[in-house]
Amino acid sequence: MAKDNKADSTSLLSKNVKIDGEIHGPENLHIEGYIKGSIKLTGNIFVGSTGIVQADMEAKNIVIQGEVAGNVLAHQQLEIHPSGKLIGDCTASTIDIKEGAVFEGRSNMIKSAGLSAGPSVPPNISAAQSPKKPQS
Amino acid sequence: MPLFGKKKKETRPQPPDTAVSQKETTYFGKNLRIKGRVSGNGNIIILGALDGEFNLKGRVKIAQPAKIKGQVKADIISVNGHVQGSLVAKERVHLDQTARIEGQINTPSLSISEGASFDGEITMSGRSPESSKPAAVASVSAPQDTAKSTQK
Repeated sequence: MAKDNKADSTSLLSKNVKIDGEIHGPENLHIEGYIKGSIKLTGNIFVGSTGIVQADMEAKNIVIQGEVAGNVLAHQQLEIHPSGKLIGDCTASTIDIKEGAVFEGRSNMIKSAGLSAGPSVPPNISAAQSPKKPQS
Repeated sequence: MPLFGKKKKETRPQPPDTAVSQKETTYFGKNLRIKGRVSGNGNIIILGALDGEFNLKGRVKIAQPAKIKGQVKADIISVNGHVQGSLVAKERVHLDQTARIEGQINTPSLSISEGASFDGEITMSGRSPESSKPAAVASVSAPQDTAKSTQK
């Protein structure tokens, strides 16, 4: 969650604008227009209801309300809204597909193997410090 | 990266005179890198980097940290950032104080603020952006009066 401020600004591609090419960088992107090519961001991608994407996408979180044709990689969450359409394979840690959404393709889950690095403190450590005295 | 970024999102720089259709204003933030063609209708503010081509019906504002390599075609172009390539405007071009241009400009009307740097050539033929005759460059000083009269 603390990483959210890494991508500190949100770019907007409005309805009648088209990008043909590659997009990358630490940004959030809100798409209401048309993109063909590839998108690789460290922020979040939001494909709005008028957005059409024909590109492979990679981002932290991806929300689809429009149409996406291409492979999608969300390092955290992929969300497809009822109006959303995804034709292509997806890879994500968690997926959330609402009723009414269209998804045609393969789905792969990212296994969080890196989590073992975190300190795993047993929850009963405080209990161990205060040994119970037998009460009469 | 400033930690104040979240607030900044709300107060992104927008020229007051584009209030006509703020919803339609495409905004490319300073961290966004684009390689390729951007085309369509509407206004654009760019703070990031573009390697390629803009082809817009509308207004393009190239803000301060932006870096453009390639061609920018639009109705109105105002520059605060850095452009390597050509600017082709149907209506007018304005180079603001912090603008740095290396390349060609083709526009019927031009204004340059003090402090802007411009290395290249200007054609003001207006109607024919493709005819980059070197002869037109020499006459740049001649049509200055007409250029001034069209400015406010």
